[in-house]
Amino acid sequence: MKTPPPIERLVANLKRLPGIGEKSATRLAFFLLSAPDTLVTELADAMTRMKQEIVLCSECFDLTEVSPCSLCQDERRDPALLCVVEEPADRAAVERTGGWRGRYFVLGGALSPIDGIGPENLRIAELEARARSGTLKEVVLATNPNAEGDATAHYIAERLRPTGLRLTRIAYGMPMGGDLEYADHVTVGRSLKNRQELS
Amino acid sequence: MKTLHTEALLLRSVDVGESDRILHLLTPRTGRLTVVAKGARRSKKRFPGTLDFFNHLRVQVERRRPTSMPQLQLARLERTFDGIRRESRRFALGCYLLELLDRLSPEGGRAGDLKALFDFALGSLTLLDETRPDAALRTLLELQALDALGLRPELGRCVRCGTPIGAARSRGSSGSGGQSSAAALGFHIADGGPVCCAEPGEMLLPVHAGTLRALEGGLRLGLPQLGRLSLGGQALAEARALVGRFLRFHVGIELRSEAFLEERLTPAGAGGRLAHRDSNADSNARRA
Repeated sequence: MKTPPPIERLVANLKRLPGIGEKSATRLAFFLLSAPDTLVTELADAMTRMKQEIVLCSECFDLTEVSPCSLCQDERRDPALLCVVEEPADRAAVERTGGWRGRYFVLGGALSPIDGIGPENLRIAELEARARSGTLKEVVLATNPNAEGDATAHYIAERLRPTGLRLTRIAYGMPMGGDLEYADHVTVGRSLKNRQELS
Repeated sequence: MKTLHTEALLLRSVDVGESDRILHLLTPRTGRLTVVAKGARRSKKRFPGTLDFFNHLRVQVERRRPTSMPQLQLARLERTFDGIRRESRRFALGCYLLELLDRLSPEGGRAGDLKALFDFALGSLTLLDETRPDAALRTLLELQALDALGLRPELGRCVRCGTPIGAARSRGSSGSGGQSSAAALGFHIADGGPVCCAEPGEMLLPVHAGTLRALEGGLRLGLPQLGRLSLGGQALAEARALVGRFLRFHVGIELRSEAFLEERLTPAGAGGRLAHRDSNADSNARRA
């Protein structure tokens, strides 16, 4: 029997989402079909409102309901310290540590020439303008510790060096709860290089 | 192939599904090999810090059924090329070479050729790890890449009549002086070599015999010695135009990483240099 067109249409749309294939899309569609009306209405409303109400912060380019975002407006945060991350999720990860009292800047990705992503596709010009605004003393480059993230950090450092700001990179090392035996030798090597004195 | 243990370099990585990755590997046993790394984005224990560009790996790949895509079972890090990650010109040229190899590397072939191709890839990353590249090194690496891929252009003799370029040069220069001797020699991109006996009006890239000899010299050098070959001025402009167009002819499209590489190797100030030379070469080509 042919699937009714409204279900087919929903499956086709769900398949456009990342990580959702034909099977998952069909499963979700049939779940929504049998779910209470309130659930479906709330879900549709949440998606619509998210699209309408979420904007980019004009200062840090994080996702927010009001621009500038609450973190950029927080006067207890040190405006001279800026932590540069690739994506909003990375900003959230740094914020969860509770150990950063400066501000943030979301680049919107990392350099990936193989995928056609160059400096013009990231917010590097905006970061440069922020660095030249005269309010900063230190820029912490907290891009991911992979090839693209490292290269992005070093590229930004090249661009910002003339500003004379202190440019730092997050440290490399063993993860908490890690096991030396199973770590790759590069991570172990960097952990030894970045060792710290016990006080 | 049921189980394959081999060295590998990562050429391309594409996320699929919720936690998997499709990887294009270059190996000395198979050439380019497409594998799926199940759970690569989720598991931190299975492939810890290994599945990244500019890492020399040792991998174990299994193909359970002849029709299924091989699966990456294990990846151990042999060496990482940290110097490439830390300098944007090295990174730009490194990405460009990986993309080039991804486009042109064969899937399977003669064992000796595949080993030579892998050795070129590993050697060029080793060189970039230690050397800050310029336009000359880029050109010579592109030429060596073409050679390793079995697409080496003819540089020593006319591709039509077989006359050695030295003889063609002296024939062209008889009674007409230095510059006209250069005009007598042109490179035919589609034929893949210099032509001394071209028909009138045929589109050839003008090139001096000295440039062809310098490029031949670059092919004879081992990768660690490439930086020693001096290629400057007009020879560099001609060599860039020749190798660039020959490569584009074989790749068929502009590589995505090329724009960033151009930006990095032609910075404002120093660089107008290469752009200027290229535009000279282009206008020469148009005149020809």
